[in-house]
Amino acid sequence: MKIVFNYISLKSEFVFFYGDHMKIVCALVLLILALPLAAQETPYFVTYDHHMEEVGNLEISTQSTIGFQRQSQPNFLGQLAEFEYGIAGWWTSSIYLEGATQTDQAAVFTGFRLENRFKPLKSEHSINPLLYFEFEDINEATRIKKEVVGHAEPSDETLSELRGEKARELEAKLILSSNVKNWNISENFIVEKDLTQDEGYEFGYALGVYRPLSTLATGKDCRFCRENFAAGVEAYGGLGSTDQFGFTDTAQYVAPVLSWNIGNNSTLKISPGFGLTENSSRVLLRIGYTYEVNGFGRMIAHVFGGHQ
Amino acid sequence: VKTVFLLTLCTGLALAQSAGRPEWKVPDDAASKPSPLSNKPELAAGGKKIFAKSCAVCHDAGEKQKGPHLASAVVQSETDGALFWKISNGNSRTGMPTFSSLPDAQRWQLVVYIRSLAAANQR
Repeated sequence: MKIVFNYISLKSEFVFFYGDHMKIVCALVLLILALPLAAQETPYFVTYDHHMEEVGNLEISTQSTIGFQRQSQPNFLGQLAEFEYGIAGWWTSSIYLEGATQTDQAAVFTGFRLENRFKPLKSEHSINPLLYFEFEDINEATRIKKEVVGHAEPSDETLSELRGEKARELEAKLILSSNVKNWNISENFIVEKDLTQDEGYEFGYALGVYRPLSTLATGKDCRFCRENFAAGVEAYGGLGSTDQFGFTDTAQYVAPVLSWNIGNNSTLKISPGFGLTENSSRVLLRIGYTYEVNGFGRMIAHVFGGHQ
Repeated sequence: VKTVFLLTLCTGLALAQSAGRPEWKVPDDAASKPSPLSNKPELAAGGKKIFAKSCAVCHDAGEKQKGPHLASAVVQSETDGALFWKISNGNSRTGMPTFSSLPDAQRWQLVVYIRSLAAANQR
């Protein structure tokens, strides 16, 4: 959380890439390299697979989406912090806080999301379904593009203007995911309803495939072993709405994804997404960092003298 | 907000109802599957590394552990195929995650490591 609020208080440009901030980046990289070794985290940013958070574990993630726009549109930066908790083997719950900034504009807080994922089937199947429900209390200044749905409408309004336009939305996803010969193949079908406007239902999709770069684990502790990396590609975009279903005036992206398990509980992910239509951003560069706190529920229970 | 809360509650209750008593029976064909790495005990070191990062929090946590110790008789009495199946499938009702995201070879390495624990105990 601290990262987000410090971060969104920065103004307009993406200053963390250069100047004195380079020292901070170097220090963070050194800190990461000092952590103990390796964990398996999906490299996807938008697509969900069927793997749930482990019971009692808390996963803390930050995610940045840097949007390089076409022609006159201003570039932007969306920032997200996620706290994901494994309530039961079949139930994972998350809360998100997000902010955004845009070239020459002040940063704004863009809202929160509550997410629940349910796994109805007990064990592994050739296709594993998951049900996903999310409530979003965000505003139109949101830039994180956690999912892409409906039509893409370019806007000339500033973030401070858009911040006043509330968007309370309900979102549902059907997640289908399979593991086939060391590959994960996932398909998400998304439907979203804006409760603040009568826009009908908006639709979207996300598809992804990935595999680890090595299938055998070496016996030695190593940070740069191929087994610590996973690579793949995801595609996502809008499918219009109940008013006009289809690809017309939608944003579509294809994005290679790469994850690096840098420590027992830490994963770094990167994905440059390329816009395929006129209504898409030119490039969406996503960078994510995840840290998993094992046995968080047990720790909390211990504090209050109970059992998890 | 009310709608989301009710929706979540109803789905949660429905799933909890369907959970019932945890059963974890390995299909016969899976249980009889031989390990492709059974003659490669040197791969146990890689399995140990995977165990440390993925399994130890539940299976090697002393008094606080949720799952059985992997050197225990109840685990060691399982066939290689049954261990592989349980690692792959997990059991969402008991809190055992599915580790199908690990490559097949790494899951078999875990089985090799689990067998090495029994061998170490005998020594």
